[in-house]
Amino acid sequence: MTEMTRRERIEVLVDAPLVRKLAELAQEAGITGHTLWRVTGGSGTGGAWSEDLLSGATAKCLFLVIANEERAETFMAALEPLLDSHQLIVMRSAVDVVRAARF
Amino acid sequence: MDQIATSLMSPPVLFFVLGALAAAAKSDLAVPETIAKGMSLYLMAAIGLKGGVEVSRAGVDGQLGLALLAGLGLSFAIPFLVAPILRRLGRLDRVNAGAVAAHYGSVSVVTFVTANQIYAGSGFLAAGFMVAVLAAMETPAILSGLVIARREAGGRLFEPRLLHEVAFNGSVVLLLGSFAIGMLLGEDGYQPILPLFTTGFTGVLCLFLLDMGLLAMRRLMQTRALTVRLAMLGVAFPLVNGTLGVLAGVLVGLDAPSVAVLGVLAASASYIAVPAAMRLSLPQADAGLYLAMSLGVTFPFNIVLGIPLFRWLAETLTPMLGAA
Repeated sequence: MTEMTRRERIEVLVDAPLVRKLAELAQEAGITGHTLWRVTGGSGTGGAWSEDLLSGATAKCLFLVIANEERAETFMAALEPLLDSHQLIVMRSAVDVVRAARF
Repeated sequence: MDQIATSLMSPPVLFFVLGALAAAAKSDLAVPETIAKGMSLYLMAAIGLKGGVEVSRAGVDGQLGLALLAGLGLSFAIPFLVAPILRRLGRLDRVNAGAVAAHYGSVSVVTFVTANQIYAGSGFLAAGFMVAVLAAMETPAILSGLVIARREAGGRLFEPRLLHEVAFNGSVVLLLGSFAIGMLLGEDGYQPILPLFTTGFTGVLCLFLLDMGLLAMRRLMQTRALTVRLAMLGVAFPLVNGTLGVLAGVLVGLDAPSVAVLGVLAASASYIAVPAAMRLSLPQADAGLYLAMSLGVTFPFNIVLGIPLFRWLAETLTPMLGAA
């Protein structure tokens, strides 16, 4: 049977121009990789938004990282001051992964 | 009035109006994002190439330098002019005033392209080097907007990453790059690619403006941040800034079509280069607000009324002041 290990999955809905900032924070937290999911639109407290390749200002991405608990905590703490100013939606959940050494 | 009627009846403007009406009627009409992005790249490459070919034919003279200086000066100065008005009349805080002001100092490529196309249709041809002025005016306003937003906050005004974004912004690279290619190719070298970049140009512009009409109207309908005062400023700014642009063009001795185009550039507000830069450097500013003003109010105003208005102003003032 495949060996599974518990890790933390953090997803952040973020404006596309701010992705690089998140990637830097993840790296500083010791998280070596991330994945970007393309999202096409939605609505929230700031009103409706949709994919915007023209200006890129209101386009959003889902920024996904998987990390062990210590790194996940460090990354979450780094996101805390940006929640309002960068209008982040942050989700955290537990997942089972294969090849745990990668995360 | 004749110029306004002619401008309104031009195919690109009619397609823009169609897009706006479709969005107002809540039609499901949509141009796929990737196609819209492709069309914007095509238009920028085409306008850059044509400008470069035109400069290779006419040659470079002192007018180019003066026009560049006028454009750079306008782009740097306009944010400092509009920001206090945004704070006092628009009741915006310093950060939002700086972000919105940066949009008004920068320029709209599509407004420039549409103005050139409408003017050229009646033989009112601006100098080819105005493409270089367009590219030069894209980014200085970003720096001015950041100075306005951050001068009381202390700390570093510009991050190295932002300076890189400003210098190598995609639209600036494409405009200047295709302008340089056009200059290198000259008229003979341009002939093989002319069918793609000249023959199809107006058709692509029509489709792009259809999308812009949809975007502008939807942006206006969706926004929660735009007040009546700010909407009025979105009309007042292009009138004042465009007049300043026309005056600057006349003072540096440009011909009437180039004066009109400089007026259109000064009147226009960015919605391609600046919004992403502001999101990156001033994330706390309201993107819905600056996009609603620049794309939802100022862009339609310029497309429908600004383009003929600044031509009329240029044709009136150039003989009066240009000869003085």
